[in-house]
Amino acid sequence: MPEKRIVLRNCGVIDPRDMSSYLAHDGFKGLEKALSLTPEQVIEEVKTSGLRGRGGAGFPAGMKWELTRKSPGDEKYLICNADEGEVGTFKDRYILQNDPFSLVEAIAIAGYAIGAKKGFIYLRAEYHYLRPMLANAIDQARAKGFLSHMDIEIRMGAGAYVCGEESALMESIEGKRGEVRYRPPFPPTKGLFGKPTVINNVETLMNIPAIMLNGARWFNQIGTERSKGTKVFSVAGDVPRPGVYEMVLGSKLRELVQDLAGATDIKAIQIGGATGRLIPESMLDTPLAFENLLGAGAITVFNSHRDIIDIVYRTMEFLAEESCGKCVPCRQGTEVMVETLERFMHGEGEERDVKVLQELSSTMMLTSLCGLGQAAPNPVIDSLQYFKDAYESRIKARGEVKV
Amino acid sequence: MAKEIEVTLNDNKVTGAEGMTILDLARAKGIDIPTLCYVEDLLPTGACRLCVVEVEGSRTLVASCHTPIAPGMVIQTHSPRVIEARRQIVELMLASHPDTCLVCDKANICELRKIAADLDIGLPRFRTRKHYFAIEDVSPYLVRDMSKCVLCRRCIRGCNEIAKKNVLGMAYRGFDSKVVVDCDEAINTEACRDCDVCVSLCPVGALSKPRKVEEKRRGKVQVIKG
Amino acid sequence: MAENTTITQSKETKDLLILLAQTQKKCGFLSEETLANLARTLDMSLSDVYGVATFYSFLSTKPLGRHVIRVCKSLPCHYKDAAVIIESLEKTLGIKTGETTPDGRFSLELTNCIGACDKAPAILINDDVHGDLTVDRIPQILQAYK
Repeated sequence: MPEKRIVLRNCGVIDPRDMSSYLAHDGFKGLEKALSLTPEQVIEEVKTSGLRGRGGAGFPAGMKWELTRKSPGDEKYLICNADEGEVGTFKDRYILQNDPFSLVEAIAIAGYAIGAKKGFIYLRAEYHYLRPMLANAIDQARAKGFLSHMDIEIRMGAGAYVCGEESALMESIEGKRGEVRYRPPFPPTKGLFGKPTVINNVETLMNIPAIMLNGARWFNQIGTERSKGTKVFSVAGDVPRPGVYEMVLGSKLRELVQDLAGATDIKAIQIGGATGRLIPESMLDTPLAFENLLGAGAITVFNSHRDIIDIVYRTMEFLAEESCGKCVPCRQGTEVMVETLERFMHGEGEERDVKVLQELSSTMMLTSLCGLGQAAPNPVIDSLQYFKDAYESRIKARGEVKV
Repeated sequence: MAKEIEVTLNDNKVTGAEGMTILDLARAKGIDIPTLCYVEDLLPTGACRLCVVEVEGSRTLVASCHTPIAPGMVIQTHSPRVIEARRQIVELMLASHPDTCLVCDKANICELRKIAADLDIGLPRFRTRKHYFAIEDVSPYLVRDMSKCVLCRRCIRGCNEIAKKNVLGMAYRGFDSKVVVDCDEAINTEACRDCDVCVSLCPVGALSKPRKVEEKRRGKVQVIKG
Repeated sequence: MAENTTITQSKETKDLLILLAQTQKKCGFLSEETLANLARTLDMSLSDVYGVATFYSFLSTKPLGRHVIRVCKSLPCHYKDAAVIIESLEKTLGIKTGETTPDGRFSLELTNCIGACDKAPAILINDDVHGDLTVDRIPQILQAYK
């Protein structure tokens, strides 16, 4: 299956600074269509499209909207999660740099559908340089009267990966430490400032104008049975052509990393960043879809010179540094893992360390307060499954030195 | 009157009032779920995860202290999976806890030790670095030894919710998280006077009263495996 | 001026995180004194203000240089020789990571993924990204920051 551009349809086509250029490419026609329908009809359309969240969890977008719409209360919020911080991901940056208008239009549609008078774009601190262009897009849309039903405010992060987690993100917008909240209650019932809230990833929202314009049926025909539409991937690491690619869901990983990004020497691929999966070359024919392998769209390729233990160690170090520290399994567990892997790095790993890593992985997955801690053991679990020899050879080498 | 909700708790059909947490219901039915960060009079925080239980259909275990019961829930409070998870959580806390129980003032009334004993925890399988903080003993009212802190936040919540003084706060993040006074100062009489709320809430030896000369250590001597 | 409407916040700005970011921009870092002032203005405890200030890696309670260099150390940059860039920066500036030059011009820090993996190795200087970095380009890049 080839590349197909829905989310990136305007990237490189329009002038991201100039509203008239966006308007010349069907800009705000999706909003126009949405406003001619009732909010319930808009939600129905999104539900029919089968659009699922692109931030990694894959929750049906229309259902999230419906729950929030139906929650009692006049004050509701829409948040666009532009805190992409997953290691190896830069697709939202690319989108914001090339087509900020579509995002503004999508937020306007979503706000109308759920009944939010206020929208927030939570932009990571590392992307501060994108702010003027995004603000410009909001201002131009406002000046043209496209935001008469709601306002959009940009909020900056301040350097915390965990704020990409929806509850930590809301805490951060409320001006607090980006610590995770327990759930339930979920955001559609009790979110930002205790009000019903929808939080959508940049890429999820970017699909909305096209869905409104071309209809749910059109969108629903793209992709696999359970994964509709396309997915945007950022490919980095040991590839000759790193970059952002959009593919129909269900496309094979091989098409992305070999055909498009040009990888020739592949030892392992990290899919979905630090909390994602770490898989061997033999799995290149896996379809990229929610039912198989997906994540938020970060793909990092590692060639045969890379050391698996080094990859896992550095990934775990990242997660330990970025853990909010609230719950025991994540705060203590990531630290135990870092220190255990460090011993392997120094050639001091033992057989029992492998057992400890396995046991701990399962507890962290089962008991952590949020997705970060629950997914943090993924690189350890995968490396133990697919690259066990990396551990074993070090344990063996240690034994030989001793003798 | 709140609505009655029927759930299955450890294979028994029981009912509880809407709004009750799983922990509330379990305790009302005489089932003992260990807790550490949860205290009845404080708002739940979900930090320690010790009170996790199994709920059918849930991908993960759920913390019983903040999860409300829902109609038809099937709950297991002491399945092997749950017990193993609780053991590991305690072991994770012990991993960075100083091995100074022998000389700790709270040794005989330490909740962490008691929970560890109840769960039959032996020698630790996890290893991490320890936190080393200077003991803060300038205040005549309380002594803080933050190297023993397990970050349950009971002191912070007690200070905010009961004493209403907001002296304590959480600072830094991840493994470096620490309960602080102002900009991480040693606690002194200016910040805090004799109210004892936090000291009485602390489950471990992180907060204690200065022991008077000749005063005996509190509690019976605990015998713990390992 | 047009930007102001979105960049300034809604009227009720009592938002600690926004104020901390603004203060840091103005003063270069968050001193105990400024934190205490903020706590007073917002009627919050100093512990809570300090808690927020120390949670986020882009906020600093220690003095920083006029320009902050953040070198990405995450995997894609790491395998594109970020270590060489770090070494070269340390040598050029005469400081180690985590330190500030004696003239107060630069601080050098390591950071996690900055989302410029297609241009690895990459660094941030203040808000600017410099990607596809080579050791030869470093002096010239630094020159632009006085």
